[in-house]
Amino acid sequence: MQVETARDAAASAGGRPPEAMPPERAAGHGPLGLARRLLTLREASVIVITIVVAAYFAVTTDAFLTWDNFKTLLPYFAPFAILAAGEVFLMINGEIDLSIGAVYLFTPFIFHEFYDAGFPLMLALILAMGACVVVGLINGFFTAVIGINSFITTLGMLLALTGGTLIISNAQPVPTPGTSVLEDRTTFASVFGGGTYSELIWALAIVVVLQLVLSYSRWGIYTVAVGGNRLGAAEAGIKVRMVVIRNFVLCSLCAGLVGVLEAVRTTSITPDPAGANEILFGAIAAAVIGGTLLAGGSGTVVGALVGALLLGILNDGLIIKGVNADYLNFYLGVAILIAMAANTYVGRVRRGAAVG
Amino acid sequence: MAEQRSAGERVVAPKEARDDVLRVEHIAKSFGPVVALRDVSLHLRKGEVLGLLGDNGAGKSTLMKIICGFERPDAGRMFLRSEPYEPRSVDHARSLGIDTVYQDLALVDELSVFQNMFLRRERVHRPLPFLANRAMRAETRAALEEIGINIPNINAPVARLSGGQRQAIAVARTVRSQADILLLDEPLAAMGAKEGGRILDLIERLKKSGEVSIIMVLHNYVHVLASCDRVNLIQDGVIALDKPTSETSVEELTEIVVDEYRRARLAANGQRAAAP
Repeated sequence: MQVETARDAAASAGGRPPEAMPPERAAGHGPLGLARRLLTLREASVIVITIVVAAYFAVTTDAFLTWDNFKTLLPYFAPFAILAAGEVFLMINGEIDLSIGAVYLFTPFIFHEFYDAGFPLMLALILAMGACVVVGLINGFFTAVIGINSFITTLGMLLALTGGTLIISNAQPVPTPGTSVLEDRTTFASVFGGGTYSELIWALAIVVVLQLVLSYSRWGIYTVAVGGNRLGAAEAGIKVRMVVIRNFVLCSLCAGLVGVLEAVRTTSITPDPAGANEILFGAIAAAVIGGTLLAGGSGTVVGALVGALLLGILNDGLIIKGVNADYLNFYLGVAILIAMAANTYVGRVRRGAAVG
Repeated sequence: MAEQRSAGERVVAPKEARDDVLRVEHIAKSFGPVVALRDVSLHLRKGEVLGLLGDNGAGKSTLMKIICGFERPDAGRMFLRSEPYEPRSVDHARSLGIDTVYQDLALVDELSVFQNMFLRRERVHRPLPFLANRAMRAETRAALEEIGINIPNINAPVARLSGGQRQAIAVARTVRSQADILLLDEPLAAMGAKEGGRILDLIERLKKSGEVSIIMVLHNYVHVLASCDRVNLIQDGVIALDKPTSETSVEELTEIVVDEYRRARLAANGQRAAAP
């Protein structure tokens, strides 16, 4: 019963109502009924494709379906799930944040700067997160108050922050505070990205919390409302600007956190703008593959998590299959196009089934 | 041009009654070069249903949006229960007991029926910030049942519903709020005779209670005469007629509008003749 209500709310937060199925079909029990129920979930198409891709690699390679490979897969997947979770809120809102890669790059350096200035680890981290909040506020202010398209606002922020990072770091890598390759891992490092499952736990926790916020709180409802009908939301009395600004701050915070987690995991902070752009593309791809509309009004955080998982499996599986590094991005791009086409097709079939 | 028009027009001086809940005085509003309202004054008595008529673009919706706090007037004053009234926002106006059905309905297609019913009026599990969906679903069913509008699935997104059903939801959410002044901007526009009749019945019931005062924009003169106590007509950004419905008729209202069209065509022809 509890599952039923959760599904209702998730579906009604911009999606397809489970009840739209003819009752005699919806009431189906047994494996077939369960399969039908699964297919009416909004994330169904991307889940199906992810399972198919994983099955392909499991069958065609020996190394894919091993625990060691699961651990290898995590960094390809967990950071993108967190980044995409924040981006989903903005995309549902009808906005986009292109600066998340730059925030990801910038925040660890700020963390390092504060630590260098003599602040204790945790305080330095909190101050670095504060810097992310400021970035989000600026993005939100230029977009919602001054009225510049978020694509342009955050493109400006991307360039400014990337440049700022190169200036602060003198384009030189630095060791991540609280980590050392020579010594044992500290508790701080284990919690913030250093532990094997640290990033996975962060990702799952953030996805669960943000999906609950999206489906069960005013913030979530207002995010869908502003993305779906901005004028109508304003007429109903929703503070549209506040909703947009809040989501920019959330998105920046997610990106900054991932920046720190990755810096701790790799024990060094590297000023690599090209890598930061790949992070941005990966996160947006995960959100879109997971069913979030670029046009706004619809999307789920859980879908973005599955989208990130699909990207991670593709990346990892292609490497296991021994695909030449030069070909990797090519195959990844083709695979994304095929996955999205299949996603759209399955989605259409699913809607056909749901409408009856 | 302006002199020509004012020669033929009737401007009704501001009136007031002792039991006014709302008075609007000399409101003006322009959007850039477009003058929506020049000098509008009207009053609304307690328990009264005031019909607001006027051509498309006459400024009816703008006036409604100023009263409900969505737009600020350029000039003029308003009084709510004899107190000066300057709404800062839609929320502020709502907290003072004014609620609105907008012409565009202000529904979000992606949200479900019950989520739209409670948009910006959500129930939460206090002190937790989580939505009390079960309570909102139950209240939505009760409210729609009370009006007599049949919407089988309140979890469906409103995008799936007919125009009349959507309008019914917008009316239901405004009427069931605690407001005692309702602004209804063409509440029957997308409805068939049966659904429209139910909404008029609802308005009749509200009127009988005597507690709720309503300003209603309508296009159908039969609806106006059936459910309004008094009618105001906006022409060229001013109130051009203010009469109890008992003293007017479909013929008189039609004649005023036909006359307006006649003058507009004359003016347009005159311009065309003068142009070359």
